[in-house]
Amino acid sequence: MSEYNKPLPIPTVEQEPFWRYCKNHELRMQKCPECGYIRHPAGIICPHCHSLAEAEWVKLSGQGKIFSFVIFRRAYDKAFAGDIPYAVASIEMEEGPRMMSNIVGCEVENITIGMPVKVIFEDVTEEFTLPRFKPA
Amino acid sequence: MESLRDKVAIVGVGYTPQGKVPGRSAISFHVEAARNAIEDAGLKVEDVDGILTQPSPGDPSNHDGQVMPWNAAQQMGMRVRFCSAQTTMGASAGGMVLHGAAALIYGLADYVVCTYGESPQSGRSGEASYSRGWGERAAFGWYNATAGYAMAARRGMQAFNTGPETWSQIAVAQRQWANINPRAAMYKEAMTREDYFSSRFVIEPFRLFDICLVSDGGRAFVMTTAERARDCRHRPVYVMGVGQDHPATNIIQSDFMAGPTGAKVSGQQALRMAGITLNDIDACEIYDCYTYTVELTMMDYGFFASGEGKDFFAHGRTAPGGKLPVNTSGGLLSEAYHMGFTPLTEAVVQLQGSVGERQLGPATGTKSPEIILVSGNGGVLQTHSTVILRR
Repeated sequence: MSEYNKPLPIPTVEQEPFWRYCKNHELRMQKCPECGYIRHPAGIICPHCHSLAEAEWVKLSGQGKIFSFVIFRRAYDKAFAGDIPYAVASIEMEEGPRMMSNIVGCEVENITIGMPVKVIFEDVTEEFTLPRFKPA
Repeated sequence: MESLRDKVAIVGVGYTPQGKVPGRSAISFHVEAARNAIEDAGLKVEDVDGILTQPSPGDPSNHDGQVMPWNAAQQMGMRVRFCSAQTTMGASAGGMVLHGAAALIYGLADYVVCTYGESPQSGRSGEASYSRGWGERAAFGWYNATAGYAMAARRGMQAFNTGPETWSQIAVAQRQWANINPRAAMYKEAMTREDYFSSRFVIEPFRLFDICLVSDGGRAFVMTTAERARDCRHRPVYVMGVGQDHPATNIIQSDFMAGPTGAKVSGQQALRMAGITLNDIDACEIYDCYTYTVELTMMDYGFFASGEGKDFFAHGRTAPGGKLPVNTSGGLLSEAYHMGFTPLTEAVVQLQGSVGERQLGPATGTKSPEIILVSGNGGVLQTHSTVILRR
């Protein structure tokens, strides 16, 4: 693995399992045992039914659709200068929750709202694996 | 909620040098603006027994981490009995009007000074507060609020067919106001529709001219009870109505990218308290961190229906000479970025009636204002405040 010089995630304590599962190439999020609502990012309370019951980290299919997206034409950190233009999207997973990630594997000009996408896992360092998305 | 209508007034506004001001810390702008606002009201520092401060997040030299109200009070030599930090980001100025009004009405203070200051251009806060990535997001190359509002705007393009045609009208109209405001960063910089379309993309769908300025400087205002206001230097500007609604959810997970944002409920509350309708509003000072924010906010307030922004902003309706002036200082886009303090203080000085070349009324071919509506929103559309002021 070549040296990775981009920022790494700084998760909250509650979000740490999300990244451990990514390392396993699994996309898992917290599911409320009371109402079944899947929440992201992780937290100790269900924002839907307000239950404090311990959530289960359920595995998602990795399939979703682009809810909205932006294209960075300027690098705010020189580590990303070589990636310009790159896309960051809000992706609606087929199980319901939305998450932020990059859209890769297609020209940014071809990205549209509603486009079906599928997760891929990139092992960027020993410690972190980033879930990104490509056209399904 | 008990009506606050006409019980408190804003009696002074304080400015500082703004734009690019080297050699100054964030707190220095808080205290200079506060000092000037107190003097503008015809008061002495000793008269003021309440302070509300919007913490400046970005200055690592401050030993309390952010500029806190007691830091500002300390530097000014104030001893106050009402002291609070108020942060709903861009909605804070409106939040302070509500909190300050409550304190004044319940006798917790007689005069409250509300302060803002930042030094992102020349000081140490720019790196930290404007360009940095936070938490998990920087890993995806996600930086600053522009990306969040751009994501909302993209959804708006899909949902109600808005886009750069509408946003160019907003940017150009506000620039025309800035061109008659000597204080504005863009005072001498004209902007045409062609200039807008030839400005570079920063974070698509936003071009450079969709995005607010980054400014050093501060702004402050002083509030008191309606009764005390009558003895101050200026004609009082009364608080007719206030509203707040905070949808809170992070923009990535939010369901309000294309509205309704907090503006809808917040605006209804404020209008109800004021006992007026939108037809009674003579001008608006809308929180304009981005052009799209102006469109979305005014749509949610009910000035026009979803998707009708392009027609609403056409033909200079909101520009000098227009039927409904909006952001008459140039706003955050073309005057200075002092968060919610830019729109709020502009409404106050317009209602005081002596703001020079840009004064609403005959000088600008507009209606002389009796009532101005002010909005603020923060996070990425996660907080919202509305204030309706009258002369």
